[in-house]
Amino acid sequence: MQNDEPPNPNVPSEDDLLLVERVLAGDRRAFEPLVRKHERRVFRVALAVLGNIDDSEEAMQETFIKAFRHLDQFRREARFTTWLTRIAVNEAIQKRSTRKNLVPLAEVETAAEQFTPKRYESWKSNPEQLYGKQEIHRIVEVAIQSLPEIYREAFVLRDIEELSAEEAAEALGIKVPALKTRLLRARLMLRESLADKFEEPATLKTKIVHTAVDAGTAVAMRLMRAAGM
Amino acid sequence: MKTMDCRDVLANLSCYLDGEGSVELRATLEEHISRCRRCRVVFDTTGRMLKIVTDTAPFEVPLAVSARLYARLEKVLSEP
Repeated sequence: MQNDEPPNPNVPSEDDLLLVERVLAGDRRAFEPLVRKHERRVFRVALAVLGNIDDSEEAMQETFIKAFRHLDQFRREARFTTWLTRIAVNEAIQKRSTRKNLVPLAEVETAAEQFTPKRYESWKSNPEQLYGKQEIHRIVEVAIQSLPEIYREAFVLRDIEELSAEEAAEALGIKVPALKTRLLRARLMLRESLADKFEEPATLKTKIVHTAVDAGTAVAMRLMRAAGM
Repeated sequence: MKTMDCRDVLANLSCYLDGEGSVELRATLEEHISRCRRCRVVFDTTGRMLKIVTDTAPFEVPLAVSARLYARLEKVLSEP
């Protein structure tokens, strides 16, 4: 394998199934393009579950080795990506369960149960263009990394890796409604934490108008008159 | 048409953004959003957050991490 070559997420989409067939027929080298194509996904999934690069690196290696050794167990009715993602989630969850400093799940669930939006200002029209490409990467990655893990993993599987709700729930070993609840919280929390960077700075005037509109017309008129508008 | 309060509307945010839900549900949500500024902002900015995140394609594999993966796989693939 060529170690000096950077990973390329745009490897020509040689059909996964074709590559799997070739590996199973004895052409072990055909496993390499499969790894190139999916390493980013596997890494991202592991990182979503584990939250740090060192553990994710190990989980990624274990995932590909396991996938290679058990390739004959891959059933063609599932997509290869789904099968591989499931292995990655399992590896990562297993690794996480060996950690000592686990935050009790119940605690996290309760904290998020009461989550309601707090930011109600609209966003600038093209907020992502205000920052450089690297800066945007950093902003988005920090926001995702700071989600509690059960929300982070649901978000990454559904919204970044684009698994269906059923596939994501199955991979995480939870029921679909639980997955959906976690996904909603994750999205709301991310929105909230990105608001700092992307929100339209509210002027005193818009603040008054918005408070007034949210409160109802009578109060609105009174406030706006008081502000001389 | 059944009306909803902000809490019910928020509970259906994902469903709306993912293009799911019945025509009737979507119409009910849209009706609420059209007259509730706060829910309108939450729906709009959550949709935009999703677009920004997916367009960004976050989390690259660090080069050194990738190199070690290939080195380890090389050994496994060369096993007899």
